Amino acid sequence: MRGFVPIIILLLTFAAGTHAHAGDELSFNRDIRPILSDTCFFCHGPDAEHREADLRLDVEEFAKQDAIEAGNASTSELIARITSGDPDELMPPPESGKHLNQKQINLLKRWVNEGAIYEPHWSYVDPKPKPTPRTNSAWARDPVDDHILAKLPKTLLPPSPDSPRHTLIRRVTFDLTGLPPTQQQIEAFVGDTSPMAYQKAVDLLLASPAYGERMATYWLDLVRYADTVGYHGDQDHNISPYRDYVIDSFNDDLPLDEFTRQQLAGDLVKDPTPNEQIATGYNRLLQTTHEGGLQPKEYLAIYAADRIRNVSAVWMGATVGCAQCHDHKYDPYSTKDFYSMVAFFADIDEQQHFKVGTNSLPTKRPPEISVGSRWQRELAAEIESTLKTLQSKLENADPAQVSMIKNQIGANQEQLKQLKASNRLTMVTQSVAPREIRVLPRGNWLDDSGPIVAPAIPEFLGTLDVDGNRATRLDLANWIVDVDNGIGGLTARVFVNRFWYLLFGRGISPSLGDFGGQGQPPNHPEMLDQLALDFIEDDWSIKRMMRRLVLSRSYQQASDTTDTQLREDPYNQWFGRQARYRLPAEMVRDNVLSVSDLLVRTVGGSSVKPSQPTGYYRHLNFPKRVYAPHLDQRQYQRGVYVHWQRQFLHPMLKALDAPSREECTAQRARSNTPLEALVMLNDPAMINAAVAFAAALLKIEAEAPEAKIRRAFELTVSRQPDSFELSALSRLLESEIKHYRSQPEDAAKLLNTIDKNIEIESVNPQQLAAWTTLTRALLNLQETVTRY
Amino acid sequence: MKQHSNPLNRRTFLSNNGVAVGSAALTSMLATDSKAANKVNAGARTDVPHHLAKAKRVIFLCMAGGPSHLETFDYKPELDRLNGKPMPASYTEGQPIAQLQGKELKCQGHLTKFTKHGQSGQLISDYLPFHQKMADDICVIRSMVTEQINHDPAHTFMNTGTAISGRPSMGSWVTYGLGSESENLPGFVVLTSVGGRNPQPIASRQWSAGFLPSRYQGVEFSGSGQPVNYVDAPQGVQARQQQRLIETIGQLNQHRLKSTGDPEIETRLANYEMAFRMQTSVPDLTDVSDEPQHILDMYGAKPGDGSYASNCLLARRLAERGVRFIQLYHRGWDHHGGLEKYMDICCGLTDRATWALLTDLKRRDMLKDTLIIWGGEFGRTPMFQGKGGAGRDHHIKGFSMWMAGGGIKPGQSYGATDDLGYHAVDDVVHVRDMHATMLHQLGINHHNFTHKFQGLDMKLTGVEPARVIEPIIA
Repeated sequence: MRGFVPIIILLLTFAAGTHAHAGDELSFNRDIRPILSDTCFFCHGPDAEHREADLRLDVEEFAKQDAIEAGNASTSELIARITSGDPDELMPPPESGKHLNQKQINLLKRWVNEGAIYEPHWSYVDPKPKPTPRTNSAWARDPVDDHILAKLPKTLLPPSPDSPRHTLIRRVTFDLTGLPPTQQQIEAFVGDTSPMAYQKAVDLLLASPAYGERMATYWLDLVRYADTVGYHGDQDHNISPYRDYVIDSFNDDLPLDEFTRQQLAGDLVKDPTPNEQIATGYNRLLQTTHEGGLQPKEYLAIYAADRIRNVSAVWMGATVGCAQCHDHKYDPYSTKDFYSMVAFFADIDEQQHFKVGTNSLPTKRPPEISVGSRWQRELAAEIESTLKTLQSKLENADPAQVSMIKNQIGANQEQLKQLKASNRLTMVTQSVAPREIRVLPRGNWLDDSGPIVAPAIPEFLGTLDVDGNRATRLDLANWIVDVDNGIGGLTARVFVNRFWYLLFGRGISPSLGDFGGQGQPPNHPEMLDQLALDFIEDDWSIKRMMRRLVLSRSYQQASDTTDTQLREDPYNQWFGRQARYRLPAEMVRDNVLSVSDLLVRTVGGSSVKPSQPTGYYRHLNFPKRVYAPHLDQRQYQRGVYVHWQRQFLHPMLKALDAPSREECTAQRARSNTPLEALVMLNDPAMINAAVAFAAALLKIEAEAPEAKIRRAFELTVSRQPDSFELSALSRLLESEIKHYRSQPEDAAKLLNTIDKNIEIESVNPQQLAAWTTLTRALLNLQETVTRY
Repeated sequence: MKQHSNPLNRRTFLSNNGVAVGSAALTSMLATDSKAANKVNAGARTDVPHHLAKAKRVIFLCMAGGPSHLETFDYKPELDRLNGKPMPASYTEGQPIAQLQGKELKCQGHLTKFTKHGQSGQLISDYLPFHQKMADDICVIRSMVTEQINHDPAHTFMNTGTAISGRPSMGSWVTYGLGSESENLPGFVVLTSVGGRNPQPIASRQWSAGFLPSRYQGVEFSGSGQPVNYVDAPQGVQARQQQRLIETIGQLNQHRLKSTGDPEIETRLANYEMAFRMQTSVPDLTDVSDEPQHILDMYGAKPGDGSYASNCLLARRLAERGVRFIQLYHRGWDHHGGLEKYMDICCGLTDRATWALLTDLKRRDMLKDTLIIWGGEFGRTPMFQGKGGAGRDHHIKGFSMWMAGGGIKPGQSYGATDDLGYHAVDDVVHVRDMHATMLHQLGINHHNFTHKFQGLDMKLTGVEPARVIEPIIA
């Protein structure tokens, strides 16, 4: 029976997200709105078309007119109906599948009796500064620590102890760079007892190009970046320079407001730089098709909805896509708002690819521009300016110098040519005359009867001041990040919530993509607002925000759990400890490659194709696909560069929950499945890495097996093994050595499968095969794939 | 193995899945916690079944490309009469049209004969001689409609109830609700076969778990090479080595569990054990050497050829092993032209094996709790298209599917299209209704079978009305 105790407690704590206790003050947003939204708004909310009995409960004025008598639950129709014994009267109707429990009913009664006070929805209210709670605690290092400490329930006090140093360096290295710490990084940090040691380590990590790669991985999930078109033939399209742009931008700490403007509307600024043009690839990331028999008009509607779903999810934390066919059921977005937002993107040329799209690899998706990587562009610019100088020199040169200058010009021109030969194409946005956008009744693209709409922001959020001109994507982008006349404060909140999630495993509001009525409100709203305001104040610097958060005491807590913590706060919503969770797919991959010293740290470039099972693309057609894996160093580049085939994502990435990137993913699933186990155990790429790892160990001369095991263990999980671990691994190794000694042909079979560029000739094959089993064991540990 | 020492195991697993959990779902998940222990194939819900289930499992035979209802199950004398004449505009005006956009629309009469069969006297075309033998076993729905006219989105619609990507497929929904009876095989298995016209691509999103936990995604078995990706141990590693490796990993993880209290570790232990079992259970499944010759002949299966016939046999073996949702794809039904030739090929590859599957299940007394569903992502136009001989374009306003077993009334047809086989007019069955009926047979009320995602109560049947087709239920 003991096992049931926590379950009951949980139910009480979590019923419909209600946190109010008797005696606490009621909060509409925290306690009441979630109940009304979940059980009433579907029929009595913003959607006019499906509204029942002409009653809406989401607007105070109407609710109090029709169903609520403030201060008197016993005479309020709302309360009468939710407590009615007559199934025909009872609300919500039993057939709706919705149900109010007694606690919820009591809360609603109490709320009506206390005056039925409404509050505007939290996420639509600009963040406002509030004093930081004073905890006078020596524990707190940053105001966020005061916020956490002040809210931590008594049973969870004190906060968790600081993490062991090896855990902390491992955590922060993964969190900021997506890579494990190297032996040197661990030693430098663990050995440095100065108070600045941690800060120093953090600053080094933030300065590493790997930081941009790690942040980009998350951004690419949000904006649904992929290497293929997604629909039908799922052909390749040209877009990798956009991915590199994202990496560069994070590394440069491009402020988020500017990052936003460049992606949505970089083509609309005066004289856009190549960077700004590449950034507009954002508008081209959606899934497209040129399937025979498509009706362009239908796909224009599909593309429009795809864009609105993405823009609203990425920047507004909103599900405006729901308003494609009907007014939003829970949030104040109307169908007209949806199509008015569509109109911002009406100047993007969608027609071309319907006509010129080909079943080739890559397919044609104009407009595209040809660009080099950033370093190539910078070098090209230098050469071009040198050439200019040389040209002018040539004009004024005395005859003796002419031939020398000409030679120099020739050499520079040759270099430029070579540089540009490796240019890549990338899809961009080029504005054309906007097409007509109508409201499509019920989302029906065949119905032309709806009114024509001009670009506009959702009505309840105001209007754009555009002096009578047609509003553009640039106006939209500016509004999204404008703190005074736009929703900049809300945008900042959406993003700091996600940065927090990247570092704590859970958002301050756990709904990373939905700040609407059906999302879960934050438990620490004041902290969220404070961080949003600080983020804006600090010029939207993402790097500095990440730095600040990892330097907080809250971040540095241990992630080990006590029984009390698991019972009282299983989801860690009060952040009284750090989180532990399976690493994202790319980090699992990069970790394995890094530990086995195969990782290639080239930043940027075309997408890479590591090996995958033969025939994995057999269902692709137009054209039929032959997967040619990169057998050279490219196969060892980081996961962020892996070719992203939307219809058949690489099976290793897929088994570890990397999304197909058909839609915005603000939060990846973290599953734990047999398919993951199969990948980790048997994927030839894993075996390849395990052999490389074992070979590296064996090449270290004059080291006893036990010392090698210790070394390998620490390389894999950043700590020393204890005696139990050591002896379990030693036993495994012994039995493996015995096996391969008696069956040397098995060793030959195993080693025959690995990358020929890995040098193993100098190592005894039987030893190598046996040690490979040991390294496989290490790479498969829970600890290896977990961020603690 | 020790019985489930940590009650937070599954809960932590589920809460870590990035899905906000509503109170109703949470209640059911918590209840599941105490009983599901480390069963890797357990469902996530204890509120299902909502009612007594008539079907335990589903075999969905997807005829990808869109078979013509007008050459299989839907006979229209009027269409023959108007053969070669202009298609009356009253049918087509304002309707979505695929490749025939802007072309002259002519009626195309049936390209084969229809005859009555069985006690029920169901009309079935001569392309399907073995289906004719099943006339009294199947229930043909002649009034299907869908909403997507191109292959890829139409498949997505058929599988997930919407054309928006990222939603769970029906197989994932079903295993999410009910789990699977097999502890050695995935609960949702997909088999695709070869043959037919230049096949349309098929995307893995068709068996995606969408926003449901990814353990409920369909696992595709391949007819050649490794049946499941990475299921084989590496070259040069024998089974007992692999076992010892997994045991050592298990010991080290258990040891770690003591110091961290991380309940995820137990799930991982179970998954590694399942992965190891799959190394034998999958070959055991695909090795059909224990099947007598007359069974192989009945299906027309040649072991290891990746054909639809072999997959039908595998489907039966999967069903016997407790797999919950088995989906077969046979591509090649996209007959814009050369319809007669390609119907011969496609029907030749599938007709007999489909009959064999149904008959075999019936003989083993498994048809009664196995729901078989047959159909494409849409049908084909009554209008002529001539890409290399007479053919037909995509058509979504009326087409045929059939259901059998699992408590479906056999030997009847339901619904009808108009005189020319264009619009479904009587007892129209939307894809959502088919989903609702399928769930109903599995004991699930589609209305209450929801999962919170982005704050919404998502369900397979979506927000538009959907109904269980009562008249076809036995």
